[in-house]
Amino acid sequence: MTDDLDRAEEADPVTDGGSTVTETERTSAGGSGLAGLRERDDFVVIATAAALVVFPFLLVDVLGVVGDLIGMSIGGYAGLPSLVLIYGIIVIGFNLLLGYTGLLSFGHAAFFGSAAYSAALFSQIVPSPILMVIVGSLVATLLAWPIGFVSIRRSGVYFAVLTLTFGQALYFYALGPGAWLTNGDNGFSDVAAHGLFLGALPLDAPLLPVFDSYTVMYAFTAVMMLIAVWVGNRIINSPYGLIFEALGENEQRVEFVGLNVFRYKLMAFVISAVFAGVGGAMFLIHEQYIHPTTGLYWIQSGDFVIMTVLGGTGSLIGPVFGAFVFEYVANVISGVNPPVIGPIGSLWRFVLGAVFVFIVWVFPRGIYGALSDLGAWLLGRSGGGDDGSDPAATDGGESE
Amino acid sequence: MVLLQVDIASILLNGLQQGAIYALLGIGLTIILGTMEFLNLAHGALYLVGAYVGLLVFRETTLSSGLLHGAGITTIGFDGGFLAAIVIVPIVGFAVGLLMERFVAEPFYDRPETDQLLVTFGLALIVEEIVKQVIGGNTFQPVSPSTIFGVNVSQPVSLPVVGLFPSWRLFIIGIALLVIGLTYIAIERTDFGLVVQAGTHDSEMVRLLGIKITRSYSLVFALGAALAAFAGLIGVSIQTISPQIGTERALVPAFLTIVVGGAGSVRGAIAGGLVLGVIISAMTQTYSQWAQIVLYLFVAAMLIVKPEGLFGSVEVGE
Repeated sequence: MTDDLDRAEEADPVTDGGSTVTETERTSAGGSGLAGLRERDDFVVIATAAALVVFPFLLVDVLGVVGDLIGMSIGGYAGLPSLVLIYGIIVIGFNLLLGYTGLLSFGHAAFFGSAAYSAALFSQIVPSPILMVIVGSLVATLLAWPIGFVSIRRSGVYFAVLTLTFGQALYFYALGPGAWLTNGDNGFSDVAAHGLFLGALPLDAPLLPVFDSYTVMYAFTAVMMLIAVWVGNRIINSPYGLIFEALGENEQRVEFVGLNVFRYKLMAFVISAVFAGVGGAMFLIHEQYIHPTTGLYWIQSGDFVIMTVLGGTGSLIGPVFGAFVFEYVANVISGVNPPVIGPIGSLWRFVLGAVFVFIVWVFPRGIYGALSDLGAWLLGRSGGGDDGSDPAATDGGESE
Repeated sequence: MVLLQVDIASILLNGLQQGAIYALLGIGLTIILGTMEFLNLAHGALYLVGAYVGLLVFRETTLSSGLLHGAGITTIGFDGGFLAAIVIVPIVGFAVGLLMERFVAEPFYDRPETDQLLVTFGLALIVEEIVKQVIGGNTFQPVSPSTIFGVNVSQPVSLPVVGLFPSWRLFIIGIALLVIGLTYIAIERTDFGLVVQAGTHDSEMVRLLGIKITRSYSLVFALGAALAAFAGLIGVSIQTISPQIGTERALVPAFLTIVVGGAGSVRGAIAGGLVLGVIISAMTQTYSQWAQIVLYLFVAAMLIVKPEGLFGSVEVGE
């Protein structure tokens, strides 16, 4: 038993974090029996599916009731679960780049936005949601290839700045010279997608009579999310994903082994852009609008970074927690009026910034990393050095 | 032909003015990056602080209203608002820089660069939100004095080739270049500058030589912050300000500047700032819609072709 756990712990920090910890956490067993299960796709997908089924209920209905009891509206609104999942899809892909391959991109808004814009344009011809997603992600992929091809040649800060410059160039193009295509400052609003299956299922139709948060749109995003989790899990647990991880740890070693570093980094970049593209098109279908500031401005890229890091970069599911916290704070907490503090309103970004700084400072592995550490600690291994690894980083600055 | 000459002259002059702001920002960012290998995404927040403190000082020292008038002072010989701000704003920036170094930067010196990026990015968000809460998200018009040292600076002056040019902007160019020059001298010619320069090459070695580099760290950080705040003060006198300018007009251009100039090089930051300033001013006067796009694509091309920049001395973060 202990042997097993120790092994798991050793592998934990960056390498094997993945889906693994998710399952130990969720089923709260964390024994050796799960060790075999955790790498299996079907288990991950089933566990995610189960979570997706209860998620809107917990977020909207249960929190709504709790909110009524304490007199603050802390429950989400009907569209929030879908929105969280859409960003969840994006950050799963983003994390393949940031968390595994170790490349910090500040330009992913370009892929998100271009997908949303192309989906909006395509909807004027064929308003089919599925086709819109396909078109959007195709455009994002085609855009990611050249941008990645150029940016990957630099690493670290230079990579971040390069992706930022391309993203910003696109943003200003959409605002100014490209206005004939993008509608400039106004963007597109009231973009209506047909229902699924040739319009047979309107997206806002309720699935269940009582709970109005379960809509066709939610089912659609939930299915996309499942696919994203499945694909992400497949990648992470494949030899291919292993190379991504190895790149994040030591690029030179990967090169010495004889692998084409450039190609793998480019693929990581393109794959993450595909996720962002899917998310961008889904965002358009869900929100029915897109304009340069939401779609292409670099702060949007920054939001992806925040979500990913907030959630935790070391695992597959971790960033989704970040997306949840981000959107929850942005959409729900911003409307809360706590007794002493007063209305939060536009302070939400301040709250988020403060939480973010705290997380980066104290828990470099994000909320998810902190939770799994806590879980491990609760399992009675306080002497295992697990909780020492995190705070140790905080006083690392005493260089003198 | 004459028309072209006029255009080129005014492009250069406007470019000089914009470039001076970029250079001020770039120097601060680059010495911090070079010496401590610390990436400060909150650099724009310092510009923001400088701009708003400048605005405040302007308002309160304008003699027909404001605090000084309330205190019974109605005349001190010249329109003191901007001069007071020139003294106060960098001091505030310096103090904020010291605090930032101590409480934000220092714990992160030994952490991965992405952590530094992230924590300062979060800090930038926080500062921007505080400004929004305290002052509001509204836009303020630029404020500039009408006279300085008894010289009327509100009217345009006639220059030989350029024609009419706002004299206030000329003053701004002059004072910005003066500050840049002084900084350059301070880093190139003084002992402190020597330590900074040595630090940008090999901080470990400087430490081994028995120089107390942590104090230099604080000073460098504070100096960079003061320069950014000063850039904010200049910005507030010619451009509208709102809480977004910290990232839009300061942070991103500062990064572009040091990319062009080369990380860790003061000379590079000055050159990079001026190059970018001229590009943006040339594009604004000809194809204004493409100005920003060309700027970003220029920087991207620079990164691809010459990643070490014009005067790059160290490879930071590669």
